[in-house]
Amino acid sequence: MDLSREGVVDGLQRIVEPGDVITDEKILIESSVDNFRKLQNIFGVHTMPVPAAVVMARSTEKVAAILRFADRHGINVIPRTGGTATEGGLESAVPDSIVIDGSAMNEVVNIDAYNMQATCQCGVPLQVLEDRVRELGLTTGHSPQSKPVAHMGGLVATRSIGQFSTLYGGIEDMVVGLEAVFPNGAVTRIKNVPRRAAGPDIRHVVIGNEGALCFITEVTVKLFPYFPENNVFLGYTLKDMKTGFEALRAVMVNGYKPSVARVYDPGDAGLHFSHFVADDDCVLLFMAEGPAGIAKATAAGVEGIVAAFPECTRVDSAYIETWFNDLCWGPDKITAEDERIRQTRNVNRTTEISADWSSINDIYQAARARIIEEIPDITMMGGHSSHSYINGTNMYFNYFFNVVDVGPAEETTKYYLPIISIICEETLKRGGSIVHHHGIGKARAPWVKDEYGSSYYILETLKQAFDPDGIMNKGTIFPL
Amino acid sequence: MGMGGLNTEAIPSQMSDLRVLACFKATPDFEALREADWATAAAGGVETRYVRRVLNCFDESALELALRLSETAARRGVRAELGALSVGGRDVEPYLKTLVALGYERATRVPPEAAGGESEVAGGESGLDFAPGVVASIIAAYAQRVAHSDLVVLGWRSGPGDSGTVPFRVAEALGWPCLTQVTEVEPLSDDRLRVACVADDGPLRLTLRGPCVLAVGNAVVSHLRVPTLKDRLARRHRPIEVLAAADLGVDIAAQRHRETCLPTGFETIDRSRRGVVIEGQSPHDKAQTLFDSRLRDIMETL
Repeated sequence: MDLSREGVVDGLQRIVEPGDVITDEKILIESSVDNFRKLQNIFGVHTMPVPAAVVMARSTEKVAAILRFADRHGINVIPRTGGTATEGGLESAVPDSIVIDGSAMNEVVNIDAYNMQATCQCGVPLQVLEDRVRELGLTTGHSPQSKPVAHMGGLVATRSIGQFSTLYGGIEDMVVGLEAVFPNGAVTRIKNVPRRAAGPDIRHVVIGNEGALCFITEVTVKLFPYFPENNVFLGYTLKDMKTGFEALRAVMVNGYKPSVARVYDPGDAGLHFSHFVADDDCVLLFMAEGPAGIAKATAAGVEGIVAAFPECTRVDSAYIETWFNDLCWGPDKITAEDERIRQTRNVNRTTEISADWSSINDIYQAARARIIEEIPDITMMGGHSSHSYINGTNMYFNYFFNVVDVGPAEETTKYYLPIISIICEETLKRGGSIVHHHGIGKARAPWVKDEYGSSYYILETLKQAFDPDGIMNKGTIFPL
Repeated sequence: MGMGGLNTEAIPSQMSDLRVLACFKATPDFEALREADWATAAAGGVETRYVRRVLNCFDESALELALRLSETAARRGVRAELGALSVGGRDVEPYLKTLVALGYERATRVPPEAAGGESEVAGGESGLDFAPGVVASIIAAYAQRVAHSDLVVLGWRSGPGDSGTVPFRVAEALGWPCLTQVTEVEPLSDDRLRVACVADDGPLRLTLRGPCVLAVGNAVVSHLRVPTLKDRLARRHRPIEVLAAADLGVDIAAQRHRETCLPTGFETIDRSRRGVVIEGQSPHDKAQTLFDSRLRDIMETL
C-alpha cells in the first residue's frame, strides 16, 4: 500500500461525493467487525484495525472506480451490505482498509412475474424483496433467520441458505444471473437464462466468493408461487439423533421434498420446545408446502415414512406451526439477546457443517462429546440438522458458554475458536465439509486447504487470476 | 418424582441465618405468538398452549437478585439459604432444575390443580391465572410452614391474569410488610437488609429489620445467570419437590370459588396510529416536507 490513511480518504473523496466517504470513528469501528466478535461489540471492546473509510457505493460505475483506485494503490477492500456475517468475513484484517458499503444500492430493479425472476441491487434487504413479491402472490423461497436484516448482495456472497432449502435449495439454486465488479474495475454481467451448457457455470465464481474475488452489485433470483394456506406441519418426539437422521434420510431418499425437514437434539430442542418435550427428547419436524395437491401428498408421504420409525411419537402440529411463525431474527430479538449476554456473559455461538448420511451422526456425537469434555464453562451443547439432501445433511451445532475469568477480547481464543477447531477436526476426519452455509470467513480460513484437498488448486488459481494484487478482503477464505 | 408429602425436615431451619424464598411463574412468551394467531381457549383467555414458556421477567430479576444476595451475604459471614417456589405444572420443572444447578438448595412446585392430581399435559394453562388469592395463599403457607422463610422475593407482576396483588396478599397472609418496585437488595447482617426501590417521588433506599416481602420491579438486573453443564451434572440428583396445595392447608377449589374477579371474555384493544410516509428525493427534502406540512404551525404557535 503506497498511500497514507489520509491519502486513502482523499482519493476516495475524488471518486465519490465527499459525503459518501465516512470517517466517523464510531462507524469505522462498527465496520471493522461482524458478529464473529459479537461479545466484543456488546461490551464496546475493539481489537481489529480500524478502516480508513467506509465508502457508500451508489452505482456500479462508482464501485468499479473505487476498486480500480484500491487495486492501483494496494489497499485492502472489504465489501459489505447488511453486515450480518458471523464468521469474521467482514473484519478488517489489516489497517487502513476501505469498506465498500453497498447498502445504499437498494433498488428493486425489476420483478418479472411472467418469467418468474426478480432483479435487485446488492443493498436490497431480503425482507423488502420478499414483501414486494408476496404482494404478487410470489415468494423468493429464501428465508434465512437473518431475513429481516440481511441484504441480497451479502446473501449471495456467502452462499446463504434458508429455512425452506429442502424444497427451494440454497441461494446458489436461486440465482439465475448477476452483476459483479472485479478489482481491475471490470464490470461483468452474467445473463439471466434458465440453464446453459456453454462451458463452466461462472455464476459459481461469484456466488460464495465472500468479497475475496469481487463486489456483487446486482442479482437476479428465481420466484415461486406462494401458497401459505396449504402449509402442513408435522412434529415428532424421539429419543436419539441417530433415529432422527435415519428418518430424515428415509424422507429424502424416497423422493419427498418437504420445505422444512429438521431434527433437534435434546439440548437444542430444550431451547425451542421445552413446553411440550421431556429433557431427553429430540424433536423431528417437517413442513410441506406448495400447491394443495403437492403439499398434501408430501405431508402424507412423510407421515407414512416416519410411521415406520416406532420411536417417533407424533405431537400436535400446532406446536410446530407456532414455533415456525417465530423463527426469524429481527433487530428486536438481536437487541434483547445482546442485553442478555451483557448481563449474564453467557454467549451463544453456532457452527454448521455437512456430511453424508454415513458420517453425520458420528461427527455430531464425536464433536459434541469432545466439546463438553475439553471446553470449560459450557452451559449448553446441542444442535440440529436443518438442510437435507439426497446424499446427506447438515449439522448446525448450537452452543452456549459462560465467559469466565477473561475479558470480551479473549472470548474467541479461550472458547469460540477451540470449539470451532474441534468441530472442523471431527468433520474433516470423516470427509465432511467444515462450512455448510455461513461462509468460511476468517474464522475457518485456517482449515481451507484441508477442506479443499487437491482441489485447492482451483480455488487458489481463481484468487490469483481475479485478484492478483490480493486487495480483496484479506484473510477471508484465504488465510493471511 | 411424584407428588411428595410435606417435608419440613429436609433442611433444618437453624442451619441458615437468612432463609430466602424466591417465587416465580413461567408465562407464555407472547412475543412468540403472532397477533393473527390469537385465539380464545376453551377455558377462556388467549390460547397459549402451543407457545413456549419463559420466566416472567420480574420474577427472573427476583431469582437473580436472590442469588446475588446470597453471594454478598456469604462474603459478610452470613449464610443465606435459597429456596425457589412456583405454583405451576410440569412445564416449570426445567426452571427449577436450572435454579438447583445455580445453587438454590430447595426447589418446589405446587401444581395449580385442585385435589385429584395434576393434568398430564405439559404446557397446559395454569388454572390459577385469574386467582391471585389462591396463589398468594399457597406461597404464604409454603413460606410459613415449609420454608420458614425470613424473606419472600417475587416479581411485582406477571403475565396473563396479572392482578398485581399477589405480593400484597402474601404479605397480608404472613402479617409482614411489603416493599414494592424493589430494584436492589443487599444483606447487612443476618436480620438487616438494605433495599432500593422506586417510590412515587423517586428512588428510595431503606434499611429493614425483620421478615418482609419484596416485590421486584424494574431492576437493572433482569436476567438470570446460566449454570454450566457441569453444575447441572453435579446437582442432577437433587430432587424437585412437588407439594399438593392441600398439603399446605390450601383448598384450591374452595378458595377459587371465593375469587371475585373472573374473566368472561377478551378483545384486542386497537392501539394502532395513523402514519404518513413522507416522500422525497433526499433526507433534506423529506425533512423540509415534514417541517412545512407538520411542524411549522406548531412551532409558530409555541
